[in-house]
Amino acid sequence: MEDTAKSDVRIGVFICDCGSNIAGYLSMKDLVEYAKTLPNVVFVQENLYTCSEGGINGIKAAIPAHGLTRVVVASCTPRTHEPLFQNACEEAGLNPYLFEMANIRDQCSWVHQQVKEKATERAKGQIAMAVAKAARLRELSRIQLGIFYRAVVIGGGVSGMAAAMALGNMGYEVHLVEKEERLGGLLNHLNMVLPAKEPPSRLLDDLRTRLENNPKVTVHTRAQVKKSEGYVGNYQVTINENGNETVVKAGVIIVATGAKVLKPEGLMGYDGEKVITQLELESLLKQGTPSLKNVVMIQCVGSRCAERTYCSRICCMTSVKNAILIREADPSASVTILYRDMQMYGVENEDMFRRSKELGVRYVTYDPERPPEAGDGLVRVYHARMGKEIALPADLVVLATPLVAQDEAQQISTMLKVPLNENGFFLEGHVKLKPLDFATDGVYLCGSARFPSSIREAVSQGLGAASRAAIVLSKEALFTSGIVADINPNTCCGCLGCLEVCPYGAINFFQDRGICQVNKVLCKGCGGCAATCSSGSARLDGFSNDQIYAQIEQALAG
Amino acid sequence: MASNEVLIIGGGIAGMQAALDLGDMGITVHLVEKNPSIGGKMAQLDKTFPTNDCTI
Amino acid sequence: MVEFSGEIGSFKAKVHRKARYVDASKCTACGACAEKCPTKVPNEFNFGLNDRKAIYKDYAQGIPSVYTIDPNHCRVFQGKKCGVCAKQCQAGAIDYEQKDSYVDLEVAAVIVATGYDLFDATRIPEYGYGRFPNVISSLEMERLLSAGGPTAGHLARPSVVKGEARLKELPKLIAKAEKDEKTDAASALNKERKWLEEHVHKYPTAKKLGFIQCVGSRDFRFHKYCSNYCCMHSIKEAIIARDHEPETESYIFYMDLRTVGKGFEEYKIRGAKVSGLKYVRGRVAEVLQDEELNPVVYFEDTEQRCVRSMTLDMVILANACSASKGIVTVAELLGIALDENNFVKTHPNKPLDTSVPGIFTCGCAQGPLDIPESVAQASSAAARAAEVVMTGGRALAV
Repeated sequence: MEDTAKSDVRIGVFICDCGSNIAGYLSMKDLVEYAKTLPNVVFVQENLYTCSEGGINGIKAAIPAHGLTRVVVASCTPRTHEPLFQNACEEAGLNPYLFEMANIRDQCSWVHQQVKEKATERAKGQIAMAVAKAARLRELSRIQLGIFYRAVVIGGGVSGMAAAMALGNMGYEVHLVEKEERLGGLLNHLNMVLPAKEPPSRLLDDLRTRLENNPKVTVHTRAQVKKSEGYVGNYQVTINENGNETVVKAGVIIVATGAKVLKPEGLMGYDGEKVITQLELESLLKQGTPSLKNVVMIQCVGSRCAERTYCSRICCMTSVKNAILIREADPSASVTILYRDMQMYGVENEDMFRRSKELGVRYVTYDPERPPEAGDGLVRVYHARMGKEIALPADLVVLATPLVAQDEAQQISTMLKVPLNENGFFLEGHVKLKPLDFATDGVYLCGSARFPSSIREAVSQGLGAASRAAIVLSKEALFTSGIVADINPNTCCGCLGCLEVCPYGAINFFQDRGICQVNKVLCKGCGGCAATCSSGSARLDGFSNDQIYAQIEQALAG
Repeated sequence: MASNEVLIIGGGIAGMQAALDLGDMGITVHLVEKNPSIGGKMAQLDKTFPTNDCTI
Repeated sequence: MVEFSGEIGSFKAKVHRKARYVDASKCTACGACAEKCPTKVPNEFNFGLNDRKAIYKDYAQGIPSVYTIDPNHCRVFQGKKCGVCAKQCQAGAIDYEQKDSYVDLEVAAVIVATGYDLFDATRIPEYGYGRFPNVISSLEMERLLSAGGPTAGHLARPSVVKGEARLKELPKLIAKAEKDEKTDAASALNKERKWLEEHVHKYPTAKKLGFIQCVGSRDFRFHKYCSNYCCMHSIKEAIIARDHEPETESYIFYMDLRTVGKGFEEYKIRGAKVSGLKYVRGRVAEVLQDEELNPVVYFEDTEQRCVRSMTLDMVILANACSASKGIVTVAELLGIALDENNFVKTHPNKPLDTSVPGIFTCGCAQGPLDIPESVAQASSAAARAAEVVMTGGRALAV
């Protein structure tokens, strides 16, 4: 790496007392005297609080007064305070990436409170390391990006519709892409929804009408997203609608592709007539209540098993709902639900569960090791509470099967460079704190494409994804960080090692030249590629090898 | 007179996330919390399921 | 909030801002004040398992990063001589004269995110919470497991934590009793000391844990509803306890194990396979205590079809998610409807909308939710509020 001409390097070191947090445990006088002896250091100042207004003004004044070209602050953690000090540098006309921090509080004074002398020596080492790195820092720049103020929502089920509606209402142009002939997704096939106690068409018709009347929203039906190129703020999305291709320039993309119901071929005697799925029962009930004497429902068919380990969240509530509807329509019909755990979480579901028991729906637990068997108009099951096998008459057996990933999930995952989990559902950026974001900026997810969701949850997540997307659309411009990776095209051997470790899909492989390149807009500066690269071609600006080696050498020397 | 600001009552995880989203959209938010620190119940948790991540 | 009026697009609210007695613009949260503050107060953040000072921060990473004086305990506010914190503060941030203030706000939309209260388990006397030291709430367990908590993450029985604190005071009390020649009192105290010393020595770590599910939930006497996240919460606590101490044995007493989230069922199975958790299907009828302060649970094991009892080191209750007590006042001020459980009333098709246009809700204020659902809802509520702001209140439906 080319070194900045050493004569230009004039380092100012600011050492913070942090009240007594640092000064109480280290010898500040020693630190100041030591820092003055370090190469390239031309100015050293001790502050009671470097982060206070006085401290910040001190940095801003010292830069021109002493011709500083690098600033080092030895204080607390960069996690909270680096941006503050970087801003001070920038305001004084210094590139903010010519700043370095040594955390002599969290990493030194706080953990070595009993050994002042040794701790002071250690802090000296930390300061020397920061100074060694600072001497090798280079100016970095942030790239400014324009934004297409438009969103593409893939999937026109209730979640995608809610997302499109919210963005449209906020005044952003939205393209809603649905593969079927009409909007509504899975809800189109349902009979009734509880606890709202209405046909799903009521919600869907209302949403459809308002989407169609919203001038900001363009609905594409019998349409698919064929191709997507670009990055946050700047996507070019190719939509194939009824054979016609159009390219939409959009700033953000929301994935709302939903899920489909598993058809339990070969399970529990499924035949589509006497043994059917809950979804098939919905169609049956839609045509009017069939006369049924004995209905047996079996939960967890094809879920919570070795092949599909997850609980599909909504099947228990579906079964309970249909059991209630059958009993309400015909109190003489008997309904028994065979289950493992009734997953009636929350307020409304548990209410519904209780209501079903009041209506006389019977519940029997079964052991997955001894699953029920259906045949000859009977369902046999080992009744764990009675300790013996029982046989239940059944003129209809209804299997609760899980929602599984859509067929096109893989294609969308590859196209948008967003990951799927082991069950084929889209994998969010953080399961707790970023449920609707992908690690990749500018792409969001909601509804059953993420994980099986109730209507309440699908609507809520659709709106939430709209909110996350609106954050990008509300900006005047986007800036990338200066800390990004770069790959030397002359030495890259195209081994794809970096591409495999990059969590942000920021690395592209160019087949024609046989090399990998970093998309600096998508790069988040994690350094995974630089650490992986076997040819030393990938480097992370701000953490380059020469900078890190200088730190290590200093540490070993000290 | 129409305002363009939002009031959020409660500074737990839900209130904070709503405030962050709105703030990031450039909308002025007033977050009202009765305790000295925001964070709510989640700040009292040690780790979270199913990843055993730290909560703070 | 003390006053509220107006309608969507132009609400007016008056907010009461309590004095901190610390100038937030000067305080750097260095903590020198709290270190020297002479007044100890039971730390409510850790459920009284340790003490805080009268000038304090809830937790180290708390935001805003500013200390607050508790006027109910600070010596200065009790008319005594002190002022130690003001002397210690090199930033000059202490201001005993600071007054409460009122802030008038004009807003287009309101989001109610008031959260929940932990169900008060003393309402179920048969579980012994509040009477037996080693029966604790799920959140107390969190503080015991937390590296930033009162035991720095060591899973100690509360009878031992409190016993150790008591052992520190006892020599003084005994000396005083002896000096005053109160022999009966002195011998009682000596007896207590001897017993405590043995107890503390015998139970350095809680290793056999029982988790009781549905405490206050799915219970017709209290909350009929299911609190949604507690099954997973208990499983998590049991897994973490095992991470801390490999000899930990945990029993989870449940009716249905509700593992409905992404990765939850897998987590439950991992809990059994990797962390040795035992899931016992049966509702605990009663918790008693033996002379060693060990909780003893009585339950029907529905899978074995028999009534059993088990002696444990500690019992952790999965307290229900109750509507927050403050919500009734807030709802009255805002004019929004609550449901029969005092959660903010919403419609399943419009999960963020309250009964008043322009006022939205999210998180546990509208019913029990786990963290990702709360976060997702928070963004949704933000979207609804943004719709109002960006259109001046015209866009109202979903």
